[in-house]
Amino acid sequence: MMALLMGGLVGVVALTSILTATALGIWFERKLSARMQTRLGPTIVGPFGLLQPIADFLKLLQKETLIPDGADRLLFVVAGPFCIFLALATAAFVPISPDTGLGLDSGLIFVVAFGAITVIPIWMAGWASRNKWALLGGMRAVAQAVSYAVPLVLAALVPVLLAGTLSLDGIVAAQQGFHWFALWPTFPGLPAFVLYLGCLLAEANRIPFDIPEAESELVAGITTEYTGMRFGFFYLAEYVHTLVGSAVAATLFLGGWDGPIAPGLHWLVAKTLVLYTVIYWIRWSFLRLRADQLMSLCWRYLVPAGLGLVFAAAALAQVMP
Amino acid sequence: MTLRALLVTLRNVFRRPVTWEFPRSVRPRPERYRTGFALLRDEHGEELCIGCLACEKICPSAILHVKAAPKRESAVTGKKRGWAEDLTIDTVACLGCELCVQVCPTDALVMTRAPERPADHREELFLTMAKLYENGLAREHGWATGTKLMGMQEDEDKKKKRKDKEVAA
Repeated sequence: MMALLMGGLVGVVALTSILTATALGIWFERKLSARMQTRLGPTIVGPFGLLQPIADFLKLLQKETLIPDGADRLLFVVAGPFCIFLALATAAFVPISPDTGLGLDSGLIFVVAFGAITVIPIWMAGWASRNKWALLGGMRAVAQAVSYAVPLVLAALVPVLLAGTLSLDGIVAAQQGFHWFALWPTFPGLPAFVLYLGCLLAEANRIPFDIPEAESELVAGITTEYTGMRFGFFYLAEYVHTLVGSAVAATLFLGGWDGPIAPGLHWLVAKTLVLYTVIYWIRWSFLRLRADQLMSLCWRYLVPAGLGLVFAAAALAQVMP
Repeated sequence: MTLRALLVTLRNVFRRPVTWEFPRSVRPRPERYRTGFALLRDEHGEELCIGCLACEKICPSAILHVKAAPKRESAVTGKKRGWAEDLTIDTVACLGCELCVQVCPTDALVMTRAPERPADHREELFLTMAKLYENGLAREHGWATGTKLMGMQEDEDKKKKRKDKEVAA
C-alpha cells in the first residue's frame, strides 16, 4: 500500500515537472522562433511572456469542443488523451541520475515501442474525424512513422551494440567519463547520432518532416476537426514528444546524466535543451519535404545508411571489447 | 544551401527585433498620413459645405450621403448660396480613397490625422454631420484639401499637354 502511494506521488511529481518543462519549452520555442524572424515573441503575459503557455491553456479550456456529425465519437474523444499518454509514458524510461530510473534491462525496447505506437492515436484521430484532410493527414502520418521507425531503430542499435546492453542505464554507464557515443567512436557514433536526430524529427512530425500537418495542403492534418482542449492534447503531445525524444537522444548518444561537477539531472536537462533547441532551429529554417521525397529519402538513403552503421558498430564491438 | 538557411536564422537571433509593441510604443506616422473625416466652417463660423453633391456622386462605395437644402442667403456675405441639411459617411465600407475630399469645391470636407478608434458597435463607425463638425474642431487636419489636390491635378495635366506638344513637334 505504502509502495503504491509512494509510486503515485512520484508519478504526480514527475508528470507535473514534465508538463511544466513542456510549457516552458513551448514558451522557449516561441521566443526562439520570434528572434529568428527578428520579432519579439510573447511579452505581455508575465515577465518576458513566461506565462503565455498558461494563458493559451486557459484560452483552449474556454473554447467550445465540437464533435463533427458522422465522426466516430469514442475514437475522436479518446485519441487526444491517448496521444499525450504515450508521449509522457516514454519519459518514464529515461534515467535521470545514477540512482533513479526503472532499472529495466530492456528500457530501449519500451522507448522505441511507445514511440512507434504513437501512430495509433494519430490514425484514430485521422479516421474518426470523418474529414478528408484529417484522413489524408493520418495516412501520411502512419506511412511516415512506420517508415522512419526503421532507420530510427537502426541508429539506436549503434549505442546498443557499442554498450552491449539494451538497458538505458547500462548505455549511460558505458558512456561514463566523456566516452559519449556521439564523440567516440566518431564512426559510427556521430553519423548514427545525426541519423537518430533526423528520424526523431520525422517521429515527432517536425519540419522538415511535417507532411501529416502540412498547413498549406491539409488545413491542419489530423487536428483539422479538433477544437479547444481536444486540440490542445495533440499540440501538447507534439511538444512532449519532442522534449522526451531529445532526452532519449541525449541518453543514447550524449552520455545522459554523465558530466563533471554538477549533478546528473543538470547535465541531462542541459543536453536535452541543446537538442531541443537544435530541433526548433531546424524547424524554423527549413521547408517541408514532399511526401514522395520523404519516402525516397527514408528507404533509399537512410535505411541502407542505418544498416551500414549497424554493421560497422557490430564489427567495432568485436574488435574492441 | 542547407547550411545557409541555418545561418540566416542564427544570425537573426542576434539582431535587434523590429517589433513595435503597439499600445506601449507607437510607430511615428508618416507626414502625409491621414484617415477619418471632418467637416469645416469658415472663420465666421459658417458652414463651408454648399450641398453640391459632388462627394456623394464620386464616392465609389456609395457610403457618403448628402441631403441638400434650398438656397438661401448667407449671414456673412448676404449672397445666396447652397447648404447641406445633412451629410453622413458610413466608414464601415470606406476605402479611404479621398476622392470626396478631392472634388470638394469649397474645401469643406477634409481628412484628419487621427485614426478613428476601433469600435464595439457598427453604429459608432457611422459619422453623422454633428460628429463630422466635431472632428473638424477637435482633430488635426490632413494637409490635403480639395483645391490643393485639384491644383496638383491641373499641373499634371498641363505638364502632360506640354510634353505631348514637344513630342508632336
